[in-house]
Amino acid sequence: MIAVQTGDVDIGALITAAKKQGTGAVVVFDGVVRDDEITEMELEAYEEVAVKELEKIAQDATGQFRLLHVDIIHRIGSLAVGENILIIVVSAGHRPAAYAGSRYIIEEIKKGVPIWKKELTKDGGRWVPGDHGHGKGPA
Amino acid sequence: MTVKIRFFARFRELLGTDIVTDVAPGMMFTSLITTVSRKNPAGYAAIFDENGTFHEFVILMKNGKRIEIADAAKTPVEDGDEIAVFPPVAGG
Repeated sequence: MIAVQTGDVDIGALITAAKKQGTGAVVVFDGVVRDDEITEMELEAYEEVAVKELEKIAQDATGQFRLLHVDIIHRIGSLAVGENILIIVVSAGHRPAAYAGSRYIIEEIKKGVPIWKKELTKDGGRWVPGDHGHGKGPA
Repeated sequence: MTVKIRFFARFRELLGTDIVTDVAPGMMFTSLITTVSRKNPAGYAAIFDENGTFHEFVILMKNGKRIEIADAAKTPVEDGDEIAVFPPVAGG
């Protein structure tokens, strides 16, 4: 499952579905809204492009690390502290590939997938600056 | 001919998004964004430097494909194009 969506997902169900034949390891990455003295976080995406790029990253990771299954769900909209932002579930025959594949996917997402975060505070809001990739600069 | 311009994140807040506009044949990418962003000085300053050049961190797309800043001034927009302009990404 590759998706950019407002709704949350059932991570347990994703783990169950990831256990394809030959699976020896499932790695779950769950990025959550951190309590950085914010009231909530707003996420926005160039959805059509973001989904295509997530699909490409999943395909590349599958080939490079021989993953058996990949889910990437990136949420958008308003999220409260503690809510899930990004869920990556990968399965592989062995743990090194599962860990490496998961790490590859998150780093590639941060490099280039068109998604932005705005932290809302009681005093206003601030866009989270991009920390990677093309033309690092103020967001 | 008609094109759609999509700004995202801070650029969207300053300039709006899903802007459908008529353009003359032969209009170049940079000229189009210059014209549209001049409607809000803060929006223009967010995207262009004092020389009228895109800030180096600005990301440009035409129909979902990246356009390098160096190529934007000689990249024509065409009828039905979707043009996107946005700051560095911060997903994950």
